[in-house]
Amino acid sequence: MSGKIQNMVRVTDPIERIAHWLLAGSCLFCLFTGLGIMFRSWEFIPELLGGLYAVKWMHIFSGVVFAFALAYAYVMWKKDCAFEPDDAKWIAQGGGYLWKTNNLPPVYKYNAGQKLFFWFVVVFGALIVLSGLVMWNPTAFPIAVARWSYALHALSALVIGSFFVVHLYLGTIGNPGTFQAMTTGWCSRAWCETHCPRWLAEREKGSSES
Amino acid sequence: MTNHYIDLKNSDVILIMGSNAAEHHPLAFKWIMRAKDAGARVIHVDPRYTRTSARCDYHVPLRSGTDIAFLGGMINYIITNKKYFRDYVVNYTNASFLVNPDFSFKDGLFSGYDAKKRSYNKETWTFQNDANGVPLKDPTLEHPQCVFQHLKRHYSRYTLEKVSSITGVSEENLLKVYEEYSATGAPDKAGTECYALGWTHHTTGSQIIRTMSIIQLLLGNMGIAGGGINALRGEPNVQGSTDHCILYGNLPGYLKMPTASLATLGQYLKKNTPTCNDPQSANYYQNYPNFFVSWLKSLYGNAATPENEFGYSWLPKLDDGKHYSQLHLFDRMYKGGVKGLFAYGTDPAVSSPNTNKVRKALEKLDWLVCANIFDNETASFWFGPGADPKQIKTEVFLLPAAATMEKEGSQSNSGRWVQWKYKAATPPGDAISCGDIQIRMMDAIKALYAKEGGPNAESILNLKWDYKDRQGNMDVLKVAKQINGHWEADVEVVDAGQKKLFKKGGLVPTFGMLRSDGTTSCGNWIMSGSFGEDGENKMARRGKEDPTGLGLYPNWSFAWPVNRRIIYNRASCDIYGRPYNPKKKVLEWTGDKWVGDVPDGPWPPMADKEKGKYPFIMKTDGVASLFGPAMAEGPFPEHYEPLEGPLAKNPLSSQLINPTIELFSSDVDQVANASEKFPYVCTTYSCTEHWCSGALTRWQAWLLEMQPELYVEIGEELARELEIANGSKVKVSSARGEVTCIAMVTKRFRPFIIEGKTVHQVGLPFNYGWLYPKDGSDSTNFLTPSVGDANTFCPEYKAFMVNVTRI
Amino acid sequence: MKKTEYIKLIDTTRCTACRGCQVACKQWNEMPASRTRNFGSYQNPPDLQWNTWTLIRFQEHVDKNGDFKWLFRKDGCMHCTEAACIKVCPSGALYHTEFGTVGINQKLCIGCKACISACPFDIPRFNQETEKVYKCDLCYDRLKGGQQPACVLSCPTSAITIGEREAMIDKAYRRLDQLGGKGVVYGDKFVGGTHVMYILSEDPAVYDKLPVKPRIPASVILWKNLFKPFTLIGMGAVAGMAALHYLIKGPHEVHEKKEGDE
Repeated sequence: MSGKIQNMVRVTDPIERIAHWLLAGSCLFCLFTGLGIMFRSWEFIPELLGGLYAVKWMHIFSGVVFAFALAYAYVMWKKDCAFEPDDAKWIAQGGGYLWKTNNLPPVYKYNAGQKLFFWFVVVFGALIVLSGLVMWNPTAFPIAVARWSYALHALSALVIGSFFVVHLYLGTIGNPGTFQAMTTGWCSRAWCETHCPRWLAEREKGSSES
Repeated sequence: MTNHYIDLKNSDVILIMGSNAAEHHPLAFKWIMRAKDAGARVIHVDPRYTRTSARCDYHVPLRSGTDIAFLGGMINYIITNKKYFRDYVVNYTNASFLVNPDFSFKDGLFSGYDAKKRSYNKETWTFQNDANGVPLKDPTLEHPQCVFQHLKRHYSRYTLEKVSSITGVSEENLLKVYEEYSATGAPDKAGTECYALGWTHHTTGSQIIRTMSIIQLLLGNMGIAGGGINALRGEPNVQGSTDHCILYGNLPGYLKMPTASLATLGQYLKKNTPTCNDPQSANYYQNYPNFFVSWLKSLYGNAATPENEFGYSWLPKLDDGKHYSQLHLFDRMYKGGVKGLFAYGTDPAVSSPNTNKVRKALEKLDWLVCANIFDNETASFWFGPGADPKQIKTEVFLLPAAATMEKEGSQSNSGRWVQWKYKAATPPGDAISCGDIQIRMMDAIKALYAKEGGPNAESILNLKWDYKDRQGNMDVLKVAKQINGHWEADVEVVDAGQKKLFKKGGLVPTFGMLRSDGTTSCGNWIMSGSFGEDGENKMARRGKEDPTGLGLYPNWSFAWPVNRRIIYNRASCDIYGRPYNPKKKVLEWTGDKWVGDVPDGPWPPMADKEKGKYPFIMKTDGVASLFGPAMAEGPFPEHYEPLEGPLAKNPLSSQLINPTIELFSSDVDQVANASEKFPYVCTTYSCTEHWCSGALTRWQAWLLEMQPELYVEIGEELARELEIANGSKVKVSSARGEVTCIAMVTKRFRPFIIEGKTVHQVGLPFNYGWLYPKDGSDSTNFLTPSVGDANTFCPEYKAFMVNVTRI
Repeated sequence: MKKTEYIKLIDTTRCTACRGCQVACKQWNEMPASRTRNFGSYQNPPDLQWNTWTLIRFQEHVDKNGDFKWLFRKDGCMHCTEAACIKVCPSGALYHTEFGTVGINQKLCIGCKACISACPFDIPRFNQETEKVYKCDLCYDRLKGGQQPACVLSCPTSAITIGEREAMIDKAYRRLDQLGGKGVVYGDKFVGGTHVMYILSEDPAVYDKLPVKPRIPASVILWKNLFKPFTLIGMGAVAGMAALHYLIKGPHEVHEKKEGDE
């Protein structure tokens, strides 16, 4: 075991992981129930969950969970996800995902793609939460606000849903070895050297100093 | 109504004045809309702009209580501009009759006024007769003593300028109405008038209606399709209750209540049976003894015999010169002169004027019996606001009564249609019909009298009282048949040359067969004929045939008298029986008979000097009265100010108020005329959503939701002056009391210019009481004065003075 | 089944605001009353409520000529052909009946309130207790039984009438002719034609709470015609691209440096 640990790096702490899964879980559940509400053709969802009325409340409840998880995630990750000049270079090269590149700037904790995803989730997550709150009690707001909330909610769902798929792919089969970051919290050193070399370097330097 | 609801559609000009038809007769308004669809003009003259005004061609506001001035101006306009229907006026009215030369009118008073008694000696209000006792006439209408010239002189004082200054209606608006309405003086045009409580609720109420009658006669609008004077009466049988003598001075069918001085039947009949020496006058009331004796027979049955004057002496009598209206009743009660009161289906603690007086008066009763479908402010007066239950000794009984839908029986609408209805539901709990309550109570009273005797016991013991079915409940058909009348003996009658034998116990087919010898009985002569000889209940008829195309529907229900749908209908034809308006033929004389509606008597038209009769058969002289000496105030209506008004002087004469109204003088009968303390004219009214005192409708949540509490309507100008915001709470007070309510600030009330000064008017509905809803305020009648019309004592709810203050 | 489209025509020039319709509606639909206060108007309740599906609006108006008019308008569901409420309803509670009217099946309603803000006429109302939305269904049960809606039956002046679509449109314009053109026919020119139409004595802009040009809100069109399909299309497309990426480029392997593979 110790030998293994020797080769592994702890990339996340449990609180981070819990927060992530709350966010991901509520988001996924909202997406799932939201689709069930929006599309009559997805009737199997309400049928599975005990009817549309129950689904409405599940959606609202998980939306509330999502809102708190999002708020926590924002506080937790906003520093790590702050953009830096090198991120532009990373983006210009598509992060090396789309064509072969050699001079990707070394990433600290999160690459520009991850940061972009984070900020999209924060912004559209906030929008979806706020519009959702309006939709919960539309008559308490001016009619224009109420009406546009529905459109905004749908738009945000579209954005978050699409990014969610990308995130799912890149976090699992697209980047083997990544998924553990949010399960055990341990990734291989090699993984870290690939995905967060600067962070790894800084961490190892810090630990050798101490 | 001289006509009927459906007939409103036949009109060319409808004047709605003294009525808020759309709000209070929403179903009747359908026919007004039909008339409008056919091109009729509909005019609303009313102090306030109402839902009726919204559907009329235009609305003309006038100050409350100035209707006679407004209409008097119209008479002046019609005569001055020769808009009257001359043929009609000459032949069918007393316009040509020569008046007693001693008759006079000076400064607001007619000849014969006694200021102490506040009444007239009417001996000069008569006609000049020829040697045969027939009134002298001048068909040219030029004789200075003829009625027409008197009329002309009387109303020449009602100039546009004067009328405008009194009523607050602009001269332009006056002319607009006068021109448009008087255009119906053409033979083929019909104008009708719809009034309701807006006219009757004045100290001059009867005379307002009289003024309009004069206009209708001048324009030839009486007796024709789309014409007449039409009182829009309350939904629940106001017509029926009046027909069956709800008023203290009447017996069923508008027979007269006897007075103490008429000790014998002979004296009574002599007093009440008119005689006429003109052979062409049918003088139908010469049959009065037939109606009256038959009524006595229905009351006392076999006990009524010629020997005992058919029980005339058992009848209670009014004291001569005394009145017994509701106003008098509560005045006497307030002074401690009344022991007990039955208040069935009525809520005087809300609905009678001067609520403070009424509620105090109730405290002085020994007992009070109420019968209602809900509790009301009268039955609960003893624990109401300001009442101390410990101090009140009145014993109150509240009997649960059946609602109208829970009873079978007849119901009469304003058009005199008596319609039979069936029971729709069984009354809940212990509730029974008021008729059953009466029957059980009278049974008990009779038993007590039989056992113990008492004053006037014969009256009670001889009362025919057999209206029960086998179960001991009221048998409405038995009652209805007794009202129609029975043969009390086998009688052979010669009818149209045919001999016919009627068997004892059979139904009398029509009041024309009633007799004064005790061989017929009839509970109400005008209703005679409501059953066929064969027992057919004509009130239950539902035939939809309309042979005239005028909407008379002769086979739908029964209309009194004798199923006549338009009364005075012979006046719709010229003296030869040819209809004035061939397009809307109510009647036509075909040479041997009348065709169309049931005519006012079978006689030929009056051009036939031998057999012909004048058209107004109920009038002694056979013609209609432009000169009407029966009225208390005088033969011609005159404008007097309301008891309380904004003016210190009547602009037309020195007589400020109606000189013949009775003034009550208790400590709570305060009056404040032209007072700075109460500067605003106030009127009261109902709303569509509630009925009368609201004693029934306030319990109905759907209705209460729409009109939840008392409000006062105030014009924007006055509200600005008093800094009253719409929807805020205000206090409205008069010399007699006050109420708090919500201010409804509206463009629908506008100030009037009266005698050069701005006068504001406000108005409140009278549908609320403290019992329910608890936060809906209390009776508007805290404000109104105990004063009434000089003929009917109908209270003046529609014009008095108040103040409005913010709270 | 053959479709017969009905139109209820409300002729405001015949309305006396007796409010028989308001009560008849509550009676037939067994809706309770609310405890109201007088707020300085005859209009009450002040607005439509979950238990008040039709309401006479009272409005004092002075027209261009300075003439005073008291306007009465019976407010309630207009039963649009292009009904925003049906478009946004997720549960199928709102639907078009065989009469062209907009029915409501409370059993299906989940109380999402989407219809409330979507409606261009501001008609549907939410009941906090039952968590359902309510509105006029033009007495669907009565129409099915061959009866007139309760409001129509109660109207004494024939201000409210109902009949087949073409005949009623024709009737509306004939009435307009009878009024000498002084009026406006409202309802046939938008949202595919409403199944409740007005004859108004004034310009529609004069009336409280009556949209001059009602239409399905742009937000609803954007939502339902664009965002909604794109939610699936977008997610599907992204998933497809990911799959394609996986197939073409393969997974993004980590760089091996020292320890070798294990």
